[in-house]
Amino acid sequence: MVVKWAAPGAIILLALAAWEVGVRLLQVERWLLPSPSAIGAELVESRELLLRHTLVTLEEVVIGFGLALIVGIAAAMAIAYSRIVERAAYPFVIASQTIPIIAIAPLLLVWIGYGIWPKVIVVVLISFFPIVVNMVDGLKSVDPDMLNMMRSLGAGRRQIFTKVQVPSSLPFLFSGVRVAIALSVIGAVIGEWVGSSAGLGYLMTRSAPQFLTERVFAAIFILSVMGVTLFALVVLAERLALPWNQWERRARALEKL
Amino acid sequence: MITEMTSASGPATGETAPRPRIELEGVGKAFRVDGETLPVLEDVSLSVSAGEFVSLIGPSGCGKSTLLNIIAGLEEPTHGEIRFDGRLSSGRPGAVGYMHQKDLLLPWRTVLDNAILGLEIQGVGRAEARRRALDMAEQFGLKGFEHSYPHLLSGGMRQRAAFLRTALANQEIILLDEPFGALDALTRANMQEWLLERWESWGKTVVLVTHDVDEALLLSDRVYVLTPRPARLKTVLNVHLPRPRSYEMITDDAFVRMKAELLSSLRTEGEGTG
Repeated sequence: MVVKWAAPGAIILLALAAWEVGVRLLQVERWLLPSPSAIGAELVESRELLLRHTLVTLEEVVIGFGLALIVGIAAAMAIAYSRIVERAAYPFVIASQTIPIIAIAPLLLVWIGYGIWPKVIVVVLISFFPIVVNMVDGLKSVDPDMLNMMRSLGAGRRQIFTKVQVPSSLPFLFSGVRVAIALSVIGAVIGEWVGSSAGLGYLMTRSAPQFLTERVFAAIFILSVMGVTLFALVVLAERLALPWNQWERRARALEKL
Repeated sequence: MITEMTSASGPATGETAPRPRIELEGVGKAFRVDGETLPVLEDVSLSVSAGEFVSLIGPSGCGKSTLLNIIAGLEEPTHGEIRFDGRLSSGRPGAVGYMHQKDLLLPWRTVLDNAILGLEIQGVGRAEARRRALDMAEQFGLKGFEHSYPHLLSGGMRQRAAFLRTALANQEIILLDEPFGALDALTRANMQEWLLERWESWGKTVVLVTHDVDEALLLSDRVYVLTPRPARLKTVLNVHLPRPRSYEMITDDAFVRMKAELLSSLRTEGEGTG
């Protein structure tokens, strides 16, 4: 464990040290590029302000991601179960990703107004796609011999779907969820940039013109911590929910030896 | 209805000669590939009586598995008819048990819960199904591993767990598609002997596909040799070895003679294509 984290830890520390020394030696203006220590000081001094806006953004992320998960799983199951739904809906799911979200966000504002929902919708739009696509792949990539085995035991389509396809699609689902959770944070910030009165994205757009650059950096730092933490939670959830997937992977690795 | 009645009252043998459990008549299968018709099976007719153990042996890729898929109802034949106990097959899978070369165990289920899959599908309650599986675990050499997940089991044990799943589904006909093909030689020999013992007390009708001549002779009442693709029946060999059989028989004179006969039948086919 220590060895695993030593390399990235050392790289981060070195980069921060170089940044700190560089900024001081070259006497870079604070509003242009604040030093890591100045950003750290800002994190401490403005902690109440930052916390308030962090919670707003976190709420948007959690609600939006939760909805994307529900909508994404339901859509993936419908698409994989029914040919008709697949033909009718899948092209639209894919087409939805060719529309730049940032272009839709102002429209959402016009239609729904301010408040949390336009941001939540941006989060949903941006994060449900990897969930749907990965889970559909998972539901469809079951070994055909496995399907035949189930059929020869007398299983109908529904039983094959619930007993084999859904469980074996879960590792794929988690791959999609890992991407989706990272995108969710970006989605919330985009939603806030377009129009909002709270949240870290709002704080950044308000602080930059005031040359409160260390506050912008503090917000970026919090956003990346939020992203990494949520990602780690997803990985943890996967380990707890699908221990068999780890075993299978390990067994396969051993076979190669 | 009418055909059944006439056939039953037709021959003088009457009740003493029941219809064979499995009957294939002129079964053929062709696939269409790029607009061309590719025959895989041609005019296969054979019958298997209740409780018989029959092997199909032939060169790899000759269409043996297609034949099993057709018997199992997983694929439709392009020609011919299949009858079970004299009745035309419904063509729906589920009536015939099928065991594959791969164990196909679900990695998220314990050995016990994998074994009860067929019972679960038939609507038997979980508790009752588990009880039945536990009763049989010892016969299948799985005692002590009932609650383990498949990744902890050796190849032979995994295959026995798959056998237990097939056995619990309790279908009258069992198809085995090279069930020991993925195992090492020693484990395979043990498994063959184990299956021999199981089957002799089991009384199921079994059709085994293999390309292992020893395995076919040791286990079967009858061996059919198939030609390379398109597969046709070439030779039929009745295996007159006493039962119960044991692995030591593979060095008996009678065994060796039959083995030579099968091998030469297979070899002339190989030359024909080469």
